Amino acid sequence: MIVEALAGRRVLITGVTGFLGQAVLERLLADVPDTALTVLVRPKGSQSSRDRLHRLLEKPVFWHWRERVGDERAQAIVDERVETIDGDVGAGGFDLPGDLDVVLHCAATVSFDPPIDEGFATNLQGTINLYDAVARSGSAAHLVHVSTAYVAGVRKGVVPEGPLAHAVDWRTELDAALAARNEVERLSRRPEVLERCLEAARAEHRKAGPQTVSADAERRRREWVDKRLVDHGRLRAHSLGWPDVYTLTKALGERAAEEIAAGWNGSAPLPLSVVRPSIVESALAHPYPGWIDGFKMAEPIILAYGRGTLPDFPGIPDGVIDIIPADLVVNALIVAAAHRPDPGAPAYYHVSSGDRNPLSFRRLYENVKEYFEAHPLPERDRGEVKVPTWEFPGRQKVESMLRTGERLVEVADKTVERLPRSSRMRELMTKVHRQRRQVEFMRRYADLYGPYAEAEVRYTDERAAELCDRLTPEDRERFGFDPRTIDWREYLQDIHCPSVTAGLRHVPARSTARAQRPQPGTGVVAVFDLEGTLLSSNVVESYVWLRLAELPRSVWPAELAAVARALPRLLATDRGDRGEFLRMFYRRYEGASVEGVRRLVEDHVAELILQRAAPAAIRRVREHRRHGHVTILITGALDVFIEPLAPLFDDVRASRLAVVDGCYTGQLDEPPLVGEARAAWLRREAGANALDLARSWAYGDSHSDLPLLEAVGHPVAVNPDAGLYRVARRRRWPVEEWEHSGGTPRFALPTPADARPVRTVVTP
Amino acid sequence: MSRPGFVLEVDERTPPLIVHEGEGFHLCEFPLGTRVVYPPDSLPGLRDLDAQIRDALAHPLDAEPLPELLRAGMKLTIVFDDVSIPLPPMRAPDIRQRVIEAVLELAAAKGVDDVELIAANSLHRRMTPGELKHALGERIFRSFFPDHLRNHDAEDPDNLVHLGQTAHGEDVEINKRAVDSDLVVYVNINLVAMSGGNKSVPVGLASYRSLRPHHNVHVVSHSRSMNDPPNSAMHHSYDRMGALVDEHVKVFKIETTLNNDTFPRELGFLNKREWEWTVKDQATYLAVKHANDLTPPKLRRRIWHGTKAPYQVTGIHAGETNAVHKRTLEAIYRQQLTEIDGQADVLVFGLPYVCPYNVNSIMNPILVMCLGLGYFFNMYRGRPMVREGGALILFHPTPWEFHQVHHPSYVDFFDEVLAESTDPATIETKFEGQYATDPWYIHLYRNSYAYHGVHPFYMWYWGAHALEHVGDVIVVGGDRAACTRMGFRSASTFADALEMASDTVGRAPRITYLKNPPLAMAEVR
Repeated sequence: MIVEALAGRRVLITGVTGFLGQAVLERLLADVPDTALTVLVRPKGSQSSRDRLHRLLEKPVFWHWRERVGDERAQAIVDERVETIDGDVGAGGFDLPGDLDVVLHCAATVSFDPPIDEGFATNLQGTINLYDAVARSGSAAHLVHVSTAYVAGVRKGVVPEGPLAHAVDWRTELDAALAARNEVERLSRRPEVLERCLEAARAEHRKAGPQTVSADAERRRREWVDKRLVDHGRLRAHSLGWPDVYTLTKALGERAAEEIAAGWNGSAPLPLSVVRPSIVESALAHPYPGWIDGFKMAEPIILAYGRGTLPDFPGIPDGVIDIIPADLVVNALIVAAAHRPDPGAPAYYHVSSGDRNPLSFRRLYENVKEYFEAHPLPERDRGEVKVPTWEFPGRQKVESMLRTGERLVEVADKTVERLPRSSRMRELMTKVHRQRRQVEFMRRYADLYGPYAEAEVRYTDERAAELCDRLTPEDRERFGFDPRTIDWREYLQDIHCPSVTAGLRHVPARSTARAQRPQPGTGVVAVFDLEGTLLSSNVVESYVWLRLAELPRSVWPAELAAVARALPRLLATDRGDRGEFLRMFYRRYEGASVEGVRRLVEDHVAELILQRAAPAAIRRVREHRRHGHVTILITGALDVFIEPLAPLFDDVRASRLAVVDGCYTGQLDEPPLVGEARAAWLRREAGANALDLARSWAYGDSHSDLPLLEAVGHPVAVNPDAGLYRVARRRRWPVEEWEHSGGTPRFALPTPADARPVRTVVTP
Repeated sequence: MSRPGFVLEVDERTPPLIVHEGEGFHLCEFPLGTRVVYPPDSLPGLRDLDAQIRDALAHPLDAEPLPELLRAGMKLTIVFDDVSIPLPPMRAPDIRQRVIEAVLELAAAKGVDDVELIAANSLHRRMTPGELKHALGERIFRSFFPDHLRNHDAEDPDNLVHLGQTAHGEDVEINKRAVDSDLVVYVNINLVAMSGGNKSVPVGLASYRSLRPHHNVHVVSHSRSMNDPPNSAMHHSYDRMGALVDEHVKVFKIETTLNNDTFPRELGFLNKREWEWTVKDQATYLAVKHANDLTPPKLRRRIWHGTKAPYQVTGIHAGETNAVHKRTLEAIYRQQLTEIDGQADVLVFGLPYVCPYNVNSIMNPILVMCLGLGYFFNMYRGRPMVREGGALILFHPTPWEFHQVHHPSYVDFFDEVLAESTDPATIETKFEGQYATDPWYIHLYRNSYAYHGVHPFYMWYWGAHALEHVGDVIVVGGDRAACTRMGFRSASTFADALEMASDTVGRAPRITYLKNPPLAMAEVR
């Protein structure tokens, strides 16, 4: 009898915050009443291991049990039966009590492609740390080691339950893996790598300024390090015959466990049971049918398929997908824990379905397809999703399909970015972005899980079956783990798929108010950019207006041609450096009379400027004012052109030209506020005037406004260009489209000087 | 003597009739039995206008001759109607120019030096230098602009004087220069019966405070109609204010009336009754219609707003305001009034491209509402042309377009206020104060060329009487979204509009079509 076998014993469980660990803890609490439990939990932040244990009890896995015994009783049972130890298996440095009878080691990193050092630290170093502590404690605990069936590596045919046949030295691999980070960090600081990072950062963020570029370059370097370490892991695994670093480290972990169990640093041998589940999925019956914690391996694929975004998948239709429900694995672990093998003669169990109740990839696909055809996922405003039909064209075909998709997305991305700024451009960008995510998802899952769907391997489970058969009928009822009890159709269509899709059944209505509205408050500032944000116009256009207003119509063509000729060079400069562009352009005002320009703007250009202002923008400025916010306009445009809009703002930061004898010199009085200078200026203002930037607002349209937008708590992208739009989407900033009213001409021209009753002279 | 007005009953022989629809027009078939109201034929203009002007100034009604009122060293202020009248603008020389030149000659002869000219634009947008020059002529413009020729500023507290309250508690606050003057000469153009009289000084030179007593939903909906002063609560208020003004200011009023020569010769067929079109008229119609349809919208708008009316002056009266206005009203009714028996179930208007507030501008949806439900609906004496609960069918494309410089508060009114309610009384209570005192709108009114923040509210109030009276408003060819925002429905064709209206008025409604412009007004018996 299992319960009796474990009665009066003390069981240590690791990884109780994980998927299998919490299920094991729940099962032992609920159904094995006379066993003392110890859990090893890593303190997190201010939470002690005890706090984390209590938080853990709120998880769904405990719901049924707590309901059955009552909340208070549940707390009391936990307080009475469960002892906690602060400790991190990966880091080591903890001691274990000497009275342990069973150690259930469930802790592991479940990511298939972690950076090599992280994978080895948790799965291999963690195992060594734990079992070493057991050996040091002097207890003769039975080690129940949770592994995976896939430790067998990439191979075809039958894999028996026994020690792994390989000659890889885990010590060498561990040392190399842990050293990899330092080495990669060092390599990442080589000029070639830094240059590449800087170049990419510049291409994307040049307009936003040097600080943004360097921050992005550093982010790219760190990303490079991580990616490189992932590559290290994946390729080392491949070169040794494993599909990924997860299975490699689990395999080496088994070998380390075997060595320690055989006698470690002179201590006595320990009994060891290695339990190797295959792909663990939602529970068949306990704690309730369909229980699952987070998404494991198959769920993202099932969901993507259900959403209609997975047109095909690499895999062999007749290959076996070895899935095992979580509660069967938990049962197997408990039963294994109750059956102590002889020290020095480890026991091995495959907890899998492929041998006795195989599920082919095609059958899995058909069941999932049937499920979604009967219960399609809702699609917002579009009824229901139609799921695709897979042809199983084989890896090569899928691979070429993927490569084409990736190339197309790349080309589309580049093309869309070069389109003129418009709501249409942004719509296309969103579409391409969505497409890219889909392709990236497929790539990732095809690479990661493709091998599992292509495996032509069978994990025999004779020993596990034998263990199961030894159970009394009563125990078999409660703790059985015979995979033949699974009815795949029922499990997939009535239990697993409903469970993993439950969260997607409710589609919230599209929220109409996308942006938060300003709230009344003091110490709040609202900063607005001018061109493209408030105004669909620019400094070149204002200059043209001014010139044309000054000149009789007969001279217009010559003037327009002169500006047009200068335009290519101006635009090229603008793309490079906004400040440089402004300096260059403003030379054109050299010699113009200040009073004349002011009069012309007031009488003629002001009207054109007001025509180009977006009513929604002006409404927003005024809304901020109503709420008592300080409104600020920051622009590279000349101060004289801002006059018509100036009354809307408490402060206007515009470019000013130097004046000598009532005429402009064409030189700027001080450097123009562009890019990062705006953010720096704003921070200084905030410091000096007790403004709370976290509650403040900024509105900008272009990538060069990024530093300004980042400086406040409420950034808003208005009619954003491609660069800013990408950032805004990534960071979930509100995006607003502010246009001028219908009826406003696209090209506005002032009344020519000769057609006006009064003439103003600007140039002497 | 011109032919009097005429009510045509559509029969088998009636040709399709001209219907205006914004910057365009078309010939439309009306159901048999439709009654079409035509104004009297255009009256002949006065001959030797300058002599008539001099005569009117020398022999005023109930007042001393103007020359006797002028003396050296006095303060003289000449106030004139703004750009909102006449429609379309009058071909140069404008009658205001001719009258003011005559007044200035007399003043110069008497050695009057302190002369100021003020446009009585109230809360309308300022007139541009170009518009001032067109209304007053090159000579006056050059002599007085910009220092002695200006627009009234209703938001300049230093240049307003509060004269007191009427017996009804109505605040009277008007332009300080006018009050400080020894004599105010007001030169008007009386295009419709609503204007002129005591509307000139107390309204044209008023502040917002002084407009509130009559420019509100209650008074407007009790003005039945606005073009029938004895039955208009609004005009009662004007008169009370006028009496108060007269206690403080010496006003010499000069009112002029125009005939119905609304369209220039090239568009002469638009001034005529369709069955009297010559072959040439028909050819011109086809040519103009096709050319107009093919012209790009922006250019088309420029062309329409560039047309000037060859109006002729039918009357010029000077002297005491009320005595003068009595004569003026007679002249207006003579030109515009046609008698018709009984009310209709369906009233049809073709709305043209211009109303008082979009000269050289865009007729936005709010102005479409105001022109249809405010101005045209009120072109009656006696009873409204349509029965209570009847349907109103308007022809106008009603594009969702605004002139951002001229109508900034309209944009926000349309986006914010109408999105919440279209009921004039609700709008008045909830939003008027906020818009009227908004510093940004005030800034634009004073420094740019914007209508005052409260102006769109007045436009909406102008339709209050019609909104209360009719059961259904359908806009043929109207932009669906814009019409819905205003609480109207839009129909693709006239036939569809009648089909839609059948819910309210049945399958065989009595239909009246007020053919306007040229301006027509109905005396409903």
